[in-house]
Amino acid sequence: MTDIPMMGGSAGASGDAPRDAVSTFERHRAELRASKRVWNIVALGAFTICLGLSIWISQFYPDRLANGIPRIFEYFGTILPDLQWDVLFEGRTEEGRAVPGSLTFWYTDFWDYVELLWETILMAITATLIGAAVAFVLSFPAAANLAPNSWLYWLSRRFLEVCRGIPEILLALVFVFMIGIGPLAGIIAIAIHTAGALGKLFAEVNENASSRPVEGITAVGGTWAEKMIFGVVPQVAPNFFSYAMLRFEINVRASSIIGFVGAGGIGQELNRVISFYSDDRVLAVLILVVLMVTIIDLISERIRLGYIGRENF
Amino acid sequence: MSIASISAVTDEQVAALRQSHGSVFPGAAGLLRRWWPLLAAVVYLAWSMWYFDFGRLLDSSERVLALLRNFVIWQDMGDWAYRQIYVGIAQTLAMAFLGTLLGTLGSLVLGFLAAKNVMPLAIVRQAVRRVLDILRGIDQLVWGLVFVRAVGLGPLAGVLAIFVSDLGTLSKLYSEAIENIDRKQVEGVRATGAGPLGIIRYGYIPQVLPVFISQSLYFLESNTRSATILGIVGAGGIGMIIIERFRAQLYDQVAFVVLNVLVLIFAIDWLSKRVRLWSIGEKHDA
Amino acid sequence: MLKLDKLTRRFGDNLAVNNANLEIPDGQMVGIIGRSGAGKSTLLRLLNRLIDPSEGQILFGDADIAQLKGKELRAWRSDCAMIFQQFNLVGRLDVITNVLTGRLYELPQWRSMAQIFTPRERAFAIQALDRLGMAHTALQRAETLSGGQQQRVAIARALAQEPKILLADEPIASLDPMNAKIVMDALRDINKQDGITVICNLHTLDTARQYCDRIIGMQDGRIVFDGTPDLLTTQMAREIYGAEADEAFNEAATSTAIPTGPARARELA
Repeated sequence: MTDIPMMGGSAGASGDAPRDAVSTFERHRAELRASKRVWNIVALGAFTICLGLSIWISQFYPDRLANGIPRIFEYFGTILPDLQWDVLFEGRTEEGRAVPGSLTFWYTDFWDYVELLWETILMAITATLIGAAVAFVLSFPAAANLAPNSWLYWLSRRFLEVCRGIPEILLALVFVFMIGIGPLAGIIAIAIHTAGALGKLFAEVNENASSRPVEGITAVGGTWAEKMIFGVVPQVAPNFFSYAMLRFEINVRASSIIGFVGAGGIGQELNRVISFYSDDRVLAVLILVVLMVTIIDLISERIRLGYIGRENF
Repeated sequence: MSIASISAVTDEQVAALRQSHGSVFPGAAGLLRRWWPLLAAVVYLAWSMWYFDFGRLLDSSERVLALLRNFVIWQDMGDWAYRQIYVGIAQTLAMAFLGTLLGTLGSLVLGFLAAKNVMPLAIVRQAVRRVLDILRGIDQLVWGLVFVRAVGLGPLAGVLAIFVSDLGTLSKLYSEAIENIDRKQVEGVRATGAGPLGIIRYGYIPQVLPVFISQSLYFLESNTRSATILGIVGAGGIGMIIIERFRAQLYDQVAFVVLNVLVLIFAIDWLSKRVRLWSIGEKHDA
Repeated sequence: MLKLDKLTRRFGDNLAVNNANLEIPDGQMVGIIGRSGAGKSTLLRLLNRLIDPSEGQILFGDADIAQLKGKELRAWRSDCAMIFQQFNLVGRLDVITNVLTGRLYELPQWRSMAQIFTPRERAFAIQALDRLGMAHTALQRAETLSGGQQQRVAIARALAQEPKILLADEPIASLDPMNAKIVMDALRDINKQDGITVICNLHTLDTARQYCDRIIGMQDGRIVFDGTPDLLTTQMAREIYGAEADEAFNEAATSTAIPTGPARARELA
């Protein structure tokens, strides 16, 4: 490789055509390499500047980090429960007190937590249902191939964009102020976000639906709504269902944290124990939340696969 | 001449067809079997509207109006701390950038440790995977809250939260990418007598690097979005400014900041869509 | 009586249907022939108003079909049933519901939204299916049926509309000869028994000759032939079909008779 340019170089202006081709190629190659090198340097420079700026703006300095990291481990130490093997499974004593070091002591408020987890799941179900219903209705005018007219298409598209553009927790913050602390604010916030996110997905599914059944229903004299119900819905229903179930899984997560701003569910308790105590209660609630999310995921996956399997059959 | 007309269908014919094609005429049970999911959903919704007291939505109109008025009518705009607001936005971007960068670096290590074809020791692999499961299982916002407690208010907690939750997700994606590579190229490198790190550098990295980069870029985008809300739990960035103004009942400023955030989010979506399209176009040209 | 007066449809600069004038008395069975892209399909779609005419009139009785809107347009479509090359059934719905969609125009909106059909409507749908020999498939999903069966279900749906006119856009182009014969026989039966006008696009000449009272030839959007089958000379037909003549024309392999030779390739688009 390396001696070819030397040959090309030594050939000079001898006018020999093949050699000229080689030297042209080599020149191109050198130019390409040079420009690639320039790009690499520019990219590296941009990256370094971004990094420097980021470190400066977020004050992510080594000394702060060095101070912070031990505190992180310290903190995780404090939230570990102090379990003792010999009394681990001890119940409550006759006076109704739990023995320190037992699971009962660690999970003193277990049934309160379970109630809140239940509320969290109900919030997710309600929000998913409401959001999916809105998304269902709007997904037809928001599909380019189905919209009855262009302004309805534009309007529903923009509406869905705004719905999914605003983060849930911001919406929840506003709703908590408007209608008070409690799960209702969280449900409304998650439902709005769900409507936007699912509406977009549903509309995309609709756009991929075959136009033949729709044409068939048009030709029998069906109204626009009848075209959608008879011509489109049977085609898209399984996909809608899958997407809604996946969204439900996401919403369970969302409703478990939306309580951070007072919008109900286990998040409210999580926020309380993390912000006001740094003891084993933090871990107790966290474990339950992770468990709940995992179990819901498993169940939902089963339902999804079961439904799709049956559909394919 | 037998012109088929529905008005010519006699009751006797209907009865006879009901006899011969009974399954086509669903009774109440048949209807229920068909519609029960919808019926159940409606019944559940009605119940949950009672349970969660949806009636409150109607009571609150006065506060809603007051809030909306404050959202729309902006006062004393000259006194707003614009500098603080835009520093907050810059901080959000910086948090997302640093968090994603750290997450990527960490995932480079953990991804290989969790990949079946690189890490032969099942114990190490499983241990790493379980830790990743836990990191993923806990929401970014919860990590934010935890790190605020651990290292105090400010962007450091936000960077750590993004880092930790990215570590969980990116490592998993990376390890999957590693497990899906072409084995022959690795064999080729191994045949040259390279050590384990050499094999990873020359056998694995060239294959998985494009996947890694595209995934990390995607995470940069989604982290910028999620970083805006990390501040709500005190983990720095624009979210902190939103919640401060909200608590101080400066709703007009909240509206202004939220608008800015929305513009930022839409801009990032647009930009990343552009970058993706551009990179696809590049590949087509090549 | 259906009357087309200077009916024209443009797609950009292209005249898909150019100044078509026709009078079709009630109860006639009309075959429209021509090569692909001659405007047969566009003409049928104009009649059902699946596409709007650029100029001209479609008169049925006193009404100008070309001007109809909203409910009146839907009423017209329900009077003027349409059969498609690709059947256009709703694959994931069962056969009986597909046939019942033929009743949609008559149904109050709330009943169609809830998909509630009366026993009388169901009985009527079963009768229509039975006439096509498809009643036994009533509860199957339409997509599980063969092409020929689907087309018969589509005809049953058309019958459920109680139409005055039946339009068929290449009804047999996707079918094998055996099913093509069943479908064409059914169309002719409907025409003769019920006195419904049938207007049928056909790609192959022999089928048109065999089944239709009247043949209309189209070329480049214009009507170039209109008369009884025996008036259509070989010379004329060659001109209508142009380059596709050999394929459409091969009298030895008719599309509705069981072929003796190898099955031939069909245009599916």
